[in-house]
Amino acid sequence: MARLIRTEKEVEGRYEEVWLVVDEDALDQWPAGPGDVVGRPTQRVDGFERARGEAVYTADLYLNGMLHTAVLRSPHAHARVTRIDLSRALALPGVHAAIGPGDCEQLTDLPSYQGAAIAAVCADTYAQARAGLRAVELELEVLEPLLDADEAVGRGQLLGEQRSRERGDVERGFEEADVVVEGEFRTQVVLHNSMETHQAVVQWVGDGIEVHISTQYIWGIRDQVATGLGLPPDKVRVICNYMGGGFGSKNGADDYTFIAAELAKRTGRPVKCALTRREENIAAGNRNATIQRLRIGARSDGTITAMSGEYVNAVGWGGWVAGTDGPMHLLYACPNVRTVLHGAKLNLPPMKAFRAPGFVEGTFGLEALLDELATKLELDPLELRRHNHAEHDPVDGRPFSSKNLLECYRRAEPHWERRHEVRARSTDTVKHGVGMASQVWYGGGGPPSYAWVRVGSDGRATVVTAMQDIGTGSKTAMAQIAAEELGIPLEHVTVSLGDSARGPYASISAGSSTIPSMGPAVRAAAADARRQIDEIAEQKGTPDAPLEEIVALLEDAQILGKGARGPNPTGMQVLTFGVQVAEVAVDVETGEVWVVRLAAVHDVGRVINPLGASSQVEGGIIQGIGHTLSEQRLTDPRTGRILTTTLDAYKLPTIADVPEIVSELIDAPDAHLTNLGSKGLGEPPIVPTAAAIANAIRDATGADVRELPISREEMLRALRETRERRGAPAAV
Amino acid sequence: MELLRPSSLEEIPASNSLLLAGGTEVVPQLRSGLLQAERLVDVRGLVPQGIDGTRIGAGATLAELEIDPQIPEALRESCRLAASPQLRNMSTLAGNLLQSTRCWYWRLRWPCRLHGGDECFARDGEHREHAFFGNGYCASAHPSDVAAALLALDATIETTARTFPLADLYRLPTEDDRRSTTLAPGEVMLWIDVPEPDASVYLKAMERKLFGFPIVGVAAVRTGNATRVALAGAAPVPWLLDGPLDDATPLPGTAYKVEIARVLVRRAVDAVASR
Amino acid sequence: MLEVNGHAYELPADAGTTLAEALRDDFHLTGTKVACAEGHCGACTVLVDGAPTLSCITLAHAVDGAHVTTIEGLRDHPMVASFVRADALQCGFCTPGQIVSAVALVDATPAPTQQQIRHAMAGNLCRCGAYPKIEEAIRTWRD
Repeated sequence: MARLIRTEKEVEGRYEEVWLVVDEDALDQWPAGPGDVVGRPTQRVDGFERARGEAVYTADLYLNGMLHTAVLRSPHAHARVTRIDLSRALALPGVHAAIGPGDCEQLTDLPSYQGAAIAAVCADTYAQARAGLRAVELELEVLEPLLDADEAVGRGQLLGEQRSRERGDVERGFEEADVVVEGEFRTQVVLHNSMETHQAVVQWVGDGIEVHISTQYIWGIRDQVATGLGLPPDKVRVICNYMGGGFGSKNGADDYTFIAAELAKRTGRPVKCALTRREENIAAGNRNATIQRLRIGARSDGTITAMSGEYVNAVGWGGWVAGTDGPMHLLYACPNVRTVLHGAKLNLPPMKAFRAPGFVEGTFGLEALLDELATKLELDPLELRRHNHAEHDPVDGRPFSSKNLLECYRRAEPHWERRHEVRARSTDTVKHGVGMASQVWYGGGGPPSYAWVRVGSDGRATVVTAMQDIGTGSKTAMAQIAAEELGIPLEHVTVSLGDSARGPYASISAGSSTIPSMGPAVRAAAADARRQIDEIAEQKGTPDAPLEEIVALLEDAQILGKGARGPNPTGMQVLTFGVQVAEVAVDVETGEVWVVRLAAVHDVGRVINPLGASSQVEGGIIQGIGHTLSEQRLTDPRTGRILTTTLDAYKLPTIADVPEIVSELIDAPDAHLTNLGSKGLGEPPIVPTAAAIANAIRDATGADVRELPISREEMLRALRETRERRGAPAAV
Repeated sequence: MELLRPSSLEEIPASNSLLLAGGTEVVPQLRSGLLQAERLVDVRGLVPQGIDGTRIGAGATLAELEIDPQIPEALRESCRLAASPQLRNMSTLAGNLLQSTRCWYWRLRWPCRLHGGDECFARDGEHREHAFFGNGYCASAHPSDVAAALLALDATIETTARTFPLADLYRLPTEDDRRSTTLAPGEVMLWIDVPEPDASVYLKAMERKLFGFPIVGVAAVRTGNATRVALAGAAPVPWLLDGPLDDATPLPGTAYKVEIARVLVRRAVDAVASR
Repeated sequence: MLEVNGHAYELPADAGTTLAEALRDDFHLTGTKVACAEGHCGACTVLVDGAPTLSCITLAHAVDGAHVTTIEGLRDHPMVASFVRADALQCGFCTPGQIVSAVALVDATPAPTQQQIRHAMAGNLCRCGAYPKIEEAIRTWRD
């Protein structure tokens, strides 16, 4: 039965209040533990297509008559176009159209960050489009860029307002403390660098438009394009069957979609606009740098009495202010917490969500400082965390829908125990150590999301959605859920996705929300189909006949079940939790760091596909290692121009950088959350990795690392500072 | 653009011929505009590829050398640690010696000194991957592991025109001549003669475990009581270390490289001393 | 003539065409992906006379006369099934290149050690982080 409710919808830690039509979620959860299909390791249903290179990504798409686009992006961090002339470009062979500032909203004559789009040329081939771009006559007045985050805050150059949050009495809390630790932590700009770059192929069809795009949010693109072009949403069709990674960077339509749309309108042809890898490193979004000035006070028994933090997110020219302050408010039971968060608006490319935005950065600062506290208090870091465990939401006292962090700690104990044998491996030059960090993040998803399940006379079912699978294996999970609910083999279920014209609204694949948002809708749809089949069986007088026998009566008719994601539990906080334990080795003479082993224990509710889930955990950890040791977007300090535009300069982890990974999921259904009890898993595994590694480095060497990435230079600096602090002679 | 595939070196047109072997630098540089050429000449079949005594063909690929037990260890190890497996399959010894710097200012075509301009942007800019020797005019670092190993091995190059020590393949760029290599137009490398040492080793510091350019690479080669040490990633050209590291002239952001170099030089020299 | 997966194709007219462009745009073999176009990521890996080669920086004319193998020519190789079984892929964009490199490895070394696997596969970047399972897929490819 449909109901209109007002509810909070959360994505990537941002909350908005929305009105929603929801269907009640009347199904009981399955009992804990593996079912026939759900909870069992399952190969990706589209694995062979991807592995064989048969999957057609947007990058592989060719539509008849398709034209290629080259975009002229500002080479300067801040500039003004004083003259632009497209006529020579238009005269070149193969060039069909050229547009500049004023021809579409995304083209600007006042570029305020490097990479801002100024003009675009489309032609028969990409080489011709590039040649066209070179023929554009462009004069720019270079303006002074604002590049320093602290300076921006001082000048009031902010994105939005300063965000202050406080609970309790922080001054009194610090007075009550026996020990206070404080420190300044810095994290770097990290680039998503999905393997498939951002791109779209746009074609006007009749009075509507078709957008093929590498995206995490088919329906969001539909809305954005409809609004941006003044079209009724039903005239916008968005298609994404396969996409090559997003990690948060592909939640929106960005500039290339609208540029392609404008060029397609002018030429009457399909137009592809694809970012090159260099453009991807410049203008496709990033995890912003942060500066964190943190203080923690505690009594000598380890009870944290006060925490405060001043955070500056170097957001860039646009985007939003991610919750770097979130972990400090959510992780521990401390009654006195105060944070102030600024988003510095700079002449740098705008940030975008990147796998647990804000929380990766904030967990690094908080959990590293917490270990410094543990050292000063001479308390075991695991004990310190257990001691400050929050039974209820520490912000407002709400109960958690489920929280198994203590169980995560318990399962981490054998990994934590290894620290004695690990340390014993240390030699004069290579020191070994173990460190840990806790994780909190969102992952409850929410309404709306819808699905249909169609069952035919052959006993096979199709799950009809307009969702996307961004590589997490969500397509497979939906097939499992439908198969389990219908009681039919997995091989008899097909999942249809990727096309907004062929299915109902599906939520974004970001914020660890696909399984917790779409999964319950799919189950509800399958249950609706099952009910209809059971009714037919009743009418026929054979209520216990197998499904295949009943639907065989249908001939050309089909059963259509519909399902919707129900509301989230009211008055409860829905979060995911976990802990990671890192073992590292550090060559104290050269500053080289090895991550030898990483154990991860995460609590994300019921696990639908243990095989796909372990891949998410490993993937998040490996991205976390890149964040910690080798990845950094560098800019020229004077001009703000980006220097790391290629994949030799921007150093992603290779297979050789991977430690032994041991991962475990608690797999306890959240009894209050939907008909599945499942939370999302995409983001939790990346959250605590940097802190666990930094803490392991401290355990091994005594060095306090307060900056990411932990480059050779930073590691050597920290080691030198430790030696000086200890009054030891120089190592070399 | 045309691609010529002549059947002998003599057939290579005397001018406007950009030589192509593995293409791992030439092709990307053509496409990014760092190089311009109307005519490429495929020389893979024309340049010696095998091993003849102590001579190695300039056309030998790094992948072939990586697994050849006849090769001195420093050279083998420098090949093994260079680049990626695919690049090692494709790239030749000669091409590797002639590769350009990874300096981002140069690669992104800032109008720096190597591009004919009058400023070194790295000096006061972002230079953490740059030089700590020979960096008064240009601060770029030479990225070749193989060149450092061959320099320490005191290799000799035989071209179509002359035979000379490998060190003379390189020169520091100057105001009047911005080039860092000395091959004349039309001069083609044929053989690299590598005298057999008593012991040799190559140690490399990289930012990730494999597939990276050297932060600093150290080749140490002992023949009798004499040890030669050469560095990659240290100067605009492969650098023979013939004095103390105290003589290094690091920029503020390359001082850490000197620290690492000290350790690796000590370890490398110790390693060859004891074999 | 370009020989790709045992079939003959005409060389593209422009000598500046890369092998990747010829494969994808001229021959419509889009299994080989281009992710960086500069030789840094390995997604475009194909075999040229059995050797893993970056097609994005190889000129098509330069492999005239060589045997080129792409992922389309390996679709029934047991390595493909091993990758799917082990879940050695996520978004799948790097996967064809990974499989091509992996096939070359086990052709030369049928039972590679972890070190050999890492050494041979370090040139194939995977942003999703499927590496642990890629290792497992290669270790167990004959199972």
